[in-house]
Amino acid sequence: MISVKHISKQFGVCEALKNISFEIPSGEIVGFLGQNGAGKTTLMRILTAYLPPSSGEAFICGENILSHPVGIRRKIGYLPENPPLYSTMTVKNYLRFAARLKDVSVKYEKAQVDHVLSECHLLEVKDHLIATLSKGYKQRVGIAQAIIHEPEVIILDEPTNGLDPVQIQHVRQLIRRLESKRTVIISTHILSEIEQLAQRVLILKKGEIVADNAIEQIVVSDEKKQLFVTVKGKEEMIEQAVKEANDVKQINIKFLEDDLFEVHLENTNNVSHYNQMIQSFLKYQVKIVSMREKKNSLEEAFLKIHK
Amino acid sequence: MKKIFAIAQKELSVYFRSPIAYVVLIVTIVIFNVFFFAIIDNNEEATLRDIFKVMEFLFVFIIPILTMKVFSEEKQMGTMEFLMTTPTQNNEIVLGKYLGVLLFFSFLIILTIPYYGIIEFFSRPDRMAILTGYIGIWLEGAFFISIGLMVSSWTKSQIVAAILSYLFLFLVYFSSLADKYTNGVVKAIVKYSNVMTHSENFIVGILSSSDLIYFFSGILFCLVMTRISIDTKIWDNV
Repeated sequence: MISVKHISKQFGVCEALKNISFEIPSGEIVGFLGQNGAGKTTLMRILTAYLPPSSGEAFICGENILSHPVGIRRKIGYLPENPPLYSTMTVKNYLRFAARLKDVSVKYEKAQVDHVLSECHLLEVKDHLIATLSKGYKQRVGIAQAIIHEPEVIILDEPTNGLDPVQIQHVRQLIRRLESKRTVIISTHILSEIEQLAQRVLILKKGEIVADNAIEQIVVSDEKKQLFVTVKGKEEMIEQAVKEANDVKQINIKFLEDDLFEVHLENTNNVSHYNQMIQSFLKYQVKIVSMREKKNSLEEAFLKIHK
Repeated sequence: MKKIFAIAQKELSVYFRSPIAYVVLIVTIVIFNVFFFAIIDNNEEATLRDIFKVMEFLFVFIIPILTMKVFSEEKQMGTMEFLMTTPTQNNEIVLGKYLGVLLFFSFLIILTIPYYGIIEFFSRPDRMAILTGYIGIWLEGAFFISIGLMVSSWTKSQIVAAILSYLFLFLVYFSSLADKYTNGVVKAIVKYSNVMTHSENFIVGILSSSDLIYFFSGILFCLVMTRISIDTKIWDNV
């Protein structure tokens, strides 16, 4: 579906992208993750045939972006970082304008505008001037224009940037609905967003891809699992119990109240070690009140990469 | 073609949804009216010759106000990226925008037609001269608009676009002042490049191919330059 081969991009002396290559199969939802200035927007602009690469080539649905820019743009729906809206137009007029520029046939124009208005929950503001809309609505109008011509690939540059939590939730739900039908690329520096939305993540650092994996792989690739066990018993007994359980390393014991303690343990991924530890607690008459496992978040993986 | 009209329609709606359209139309027509009555009262002639001259002089000042935002604003608002990532050819973007401003300008010209009605009612004017005069000022305005469009495609700043447009329009309009300080080939070039050399012929009723070529080639040159500046995204580099 999308194939990028050895793409580089220079702006004067600044090298924004360095020899980037990757493939995205059809129907996948991929996150571009990176700090500001890592090259996410530049890469997206190259994929939408807005900027030509300095070297290398990219194909979308088998077509070269350099030789068929207009054909490529018909297959792509793009939402730039700041939604590109005309503040003096109404939502409906703007979407009709977008439909015309994106080769939606006159016959289907009205139906298509109505369809995206309802898909993006914009029906109640369709006759409002864009200037009067809240940021969340503006973002949804931006997404509506990106999908109005039923593109096969949707590219969204930081779609939840600057929104409040409720608006973020709305936009995420909308993106999740898109994913079932199309290939979606999202860039963001909000890590939890990628975890919630994408199946695969490309981490960019200073113009290079430093990680390209399924999210689970990046998250569990190294490190041991962290386990927090709330227990009831005497402190010496608890310490003794943990000591006796092989392969379980105690990091910390935190006093909660009376005889309640939270034990922070580091464990390998092996289930038998859990059993061993539980047995050990029972032996020393330490009651287990609750257990919670903390997975390494993508955020930790990301910060580690950027160290 | 569909996209050219869609863009032109959008340009017109942007004008009419902002105060610019109404301020330009009202102020210009008021000034034209004052001059029309002053000229008729003073000359007592059934001709629009002098009012055409006032009109072309005022166009030098009005047209940059219409064209300064055409591309600059799109670049500043980020909508240029939207236009250029839709399957629209850059030619269609340039022509659509040109057509939009040209239609607005034509509307302004249409508002002056009552002047012809008035002099036709009271006497017998030279209809041919009035017709060629209208063609002349319309072409001159169309040429000025293409200059404004070209300049607006160079920069993100509306102010810079307006100032540079004034510079270029002053050059083509007032270059006749340099006439007496030059001679030989330079004099001929200065004379040919001056817009009034050509518009004057239209105003007195002469329709010549040399004048038509001057305006059409000028418009074409500016539109091609606009297209090139969009292709190269020159505003990102300056």
